[in-house]
Amino acid sequence: MELKICHMYPDVLNLYGDGGNIRCLTQRLAWRGIESSVTRLPIGEMALLAGFDLVFIGGGQDFEQQVLLEDLHRGKDKEIRAAVEDGLPFLTICGGYQMLGAYYETHDGQRCDFIGVLDLYTVGSPTRMIGNYKFQCGPESGGSLVVGFENHSGKTWLGSGVQPLGRVLAGFGNNGEDGTEGARYKNVFGTYSHGPLLPKNPALCDYILSTALRRKYGAVELTPLDDAAELAAHDEMCERVQ
Amino acid sequence: MNLRAVLAIILCKLLRRISRLLHRGGTAMPGRFALKLCPNLLELLARDVKTVAITGTNGKTTSARMIEEAFAREGKSYLTNRSGANLLSGITTEFVMNSTLFGKVDKEYAVIECDEAAARTVFGQLRPRVVVVTNLFRDQLDRYGEVTHTLENIREGLKRIPEARLCLNADCSLSSSLALDLPNPVAWFGIDAGAAASRGKPSLSDATHCIRCKTEYEYDYITYGHLGGFRCPRCGYSRHAADYAVTDVLELRGSGSRVVMSIHGEKQLVNVNLPAMYNIYNAVGAVAAVSEIGLGAQAAVEALASFHCGFGRMEQFELGKSGTRMMLVKNPAGCNQVIEFLQDITDRFVLVICLNDRGADGTDISWIWDADFEGLTRMAGRIEQIVVSGDRAGDMRVRIKYAGIADEHIRVERDYEKLVDWLAGQEKPIYIMPTYTAMLDLRQTIVHRCGGTDFWEG
Ligand SMILES: [Zn+2]
Repeated sequence: MELKICHMYPDVLNLYGDGGNIRCLTQRLAWRGIESSVTRLPIGEMALLAGFDLVFIGGGQDFEQQVLLEDLHRGKDKEIRAAVEDGLPFLTICGGYQMLGAYYETHDGQRCDFIGVLDLYTVGSPTRMIGNYKFQCGPESGGSLVVGFENHSGKTWLGSGVQPLGRVLAGFGNNGEDGTEGARYKNVFGTYSHGPLLPKNPALCDYILSTALRRKYGAVELTPLDDAAELAAHDEMCERVQ
Repeated sequence: MNLRAVLAIILCKLLRRISRLLHRGGTAMPGRFALKLCPNLLELLARDVKTVAITGTNGKTTSARMIEEAFAREGKSYLTNRSGANLLSGITTEFVMNSTLFGKVDKEYAVIECDEAAARTVFGQLRPRVVVVTNLFRDQLDRYGEVTHTLENIREGLKRIPEARLCLNADCSLSSSLALDLPNPVAWFGIDAGAAASRGKPSLSDATHCIRCKTEYEYDYITYGHLGGFRCPRCGYSRHAADYAVTDVLELRGSGSRVVMSIHGEKQLVNVNLPAMYNIYNAVGAVAAVSEIGLGAQAAVEALASFHCGFGRMEQFELGKSGTRMMLVKNPAGCNQVIEFLQDITDRFVLVICLNDRGADGTDISWIWDADFEGLTRMAGRIEQIVVSGDRAGDMRVRIKYAGIADEHIRVERDYEKLVDWLAGQEKPIYIMPTYTAMLDLRQTIVHRCGGTDFWEG
C-alpha cells in the first residue's frame, strides 16, 4: 500500500510547525510498513489533485496570503473544489482551513473571496484568539479528544452545509462563541489547531490516515502502535488546559 | 530636572534596593513604577549618554556583550542592561541606577539591548546614536504577531530617530528593508559569498518572497535560514554590499572561529572566541557598531579575541567530569545553528534539551517542529544520552521520537535538582539546549552547585 500526499503551498503556508503534521502522517505509515510520498505544490505550480490520496494545507502570514490568492484564482481553486466534491481527503489548518470557505472579511469591511467549497466564512476581529485549547471530535471524525494550540484573529462561522470537526471543551475554536471547532465536509478535515496538530493526537492522525486508505483500498485495519510518548504528551496537556 | 522626575528616581532606587534585599532581581519592576510617576524619565536620563542600541531576533545579548567588551577594553565609562531586562521598564531601571538623585547619569556611553517589539516605544526616549539590527527571524509568534509586524515595530521606533546611524545585516532581506524608506545613514555588515557555506535555495526560510513586490527571491548563496545573497528578479531589491564584511572563514572550531573581515575595504584577520557560524554574524555586527560609535574597529577586533559571553550563550560550567556548555535556543533558525554546531563535535557527549512555554519563551511551541532535530540522528552514534526536560518535556520527547530516535533512548527528567545531580556524575562533555526561562532556572540550579554569578549580577 502507498499514500500519495500533496503538501499544498509549503512555500507560503508554513507558519506553524506544519512540517510536523506531514512528518507524523508519513512516519505513522512507515512504522506500519505502508509507503508514502510527499509532493510539494508551491505557488506557480499546477498538478492534478486526482493523482493524490491526501492533501495537506497549512497556515501562513497575512503578507503572504495575498501572493497566494492570486495563484489560487489562476485555476487551483477549481481544481480543489472538484477534488473535495470527489471525496479526496484534505487536512487544512488555520489559513488553509479559512481558504476553503466562501470568504474572509477584515474587521474594517474588506472582503477577500476564497475557494467556497466549504459552507463557512470568516470575519476578522480586533482580538486574537491564542492559546492551548481542546475539543472533542464528533463521531464522524473518530470521536477522539484533541489538544492543540490556536492563534487566529478571524472568527469562522459554519453554514448548514458542513459539520463542526468538534465541540470546544476549553479555548475558543471557530469563533469563541458557538462552541464549534473546525469543519467536516465529505473527507475534508478543517481546524484551527496548529501546534502541530497530529503528533500529540495520534487517534486523529490515524483516523485521517484510515479515511485516505479506505478510499483507495477499501476496508483497512491499521496496526496499533506504541503511542506511550504521544499519549503522555497528550494527557499532560489535556490535564493542563481546563 | 523636575520634581516628578526626582521622585521617580528616588522611588526606582528604593524599589531596587528592596528587591535586592529580598534576593529578587528587581531589573524591570522599579522602572515600571518610576515610569508611572514620570513617563518620559528615560528620555531625561538618556539625553547626554552616547548609546548603542541592539535589537533584532537572534544574537542581541551576545552582540551587546561583544560591544560592551570593546568599551571595557578601551577604558570607557558605560552602562548596560546586562541582565536581559530589555523592555522600556528594565532599560529605565538601568539608567536610574547609574544616575544621581537629580538625574545626572555618570556614564559617557550605554550599550542597550532592546526587545524588538519594545523598539517602537524605547527608541524615541533612548535616542541611541547607533542602532544595530542583528537580523529578523520568525520568533515567538504569539507574542509579536508575525515577523512583518515585528519589522514594523522596529521601523516605527527608528522613525523617531532619523539621525541615528543604523548597522544593518546586509544578508537579511527582512531587516535590510528598513533602509528602503528611512533617511538614516546606514553601515552594512554581512558575510560575503566566498565565506558562505552553501548555494541554492534556503531550506528553512522565513522570507521566501520579496518584501516589496512579492516575487520569489533568487539566491547567489545562503549562510543560514534566509540569510545570504538574495536578489529579487522583478523589482531589483537585493543584498547591499557590506562595509563590514566577512570575506573568508578560515577555521570553525568547537572553541571559536578564525575569519577574515574586510572593514571598509581593509582586510584583517579576526579571532572570535565563541564557536558557531551565527556568532560570526554577531561579531561582524559588533565590529560595525563599535566602529560607527567612534571607538574604531580595532577595539572590537581585540575584544572579540578574548570575549566570554555567559548567561546561557555558549556559557561554560564546571559541571560533570568534562564540563558543560549551555546554548540558549529560542526559535528554529537559532536552534538549527546550535544543532549544526553539535554536528562538528567529535567526542561522545550528553545532550539535554529543556523546553518551556512561559511568556518569555513563547507559549506556542510549534517551532520545535520547524527546527531540524532530524540532524540529531546524523550524530546519534556520538550521543551518549539524550535527556528532555522543562515544562514541555513531553512534547520534546515526541519531537525527538519523530526525528527518528527510538523512544527508549530518550530520558525524561523534569526535576532540575535531580537532573543536575545526574549530570554531575557524567564522564562525557555535556551540552544543554534550554529555552529562555528554562535557562534561567536551570542555570540557577547549576550555579548553586558549582559556583558562578546570579543573572542580575552578570
Ligand atoms: Zn521585488
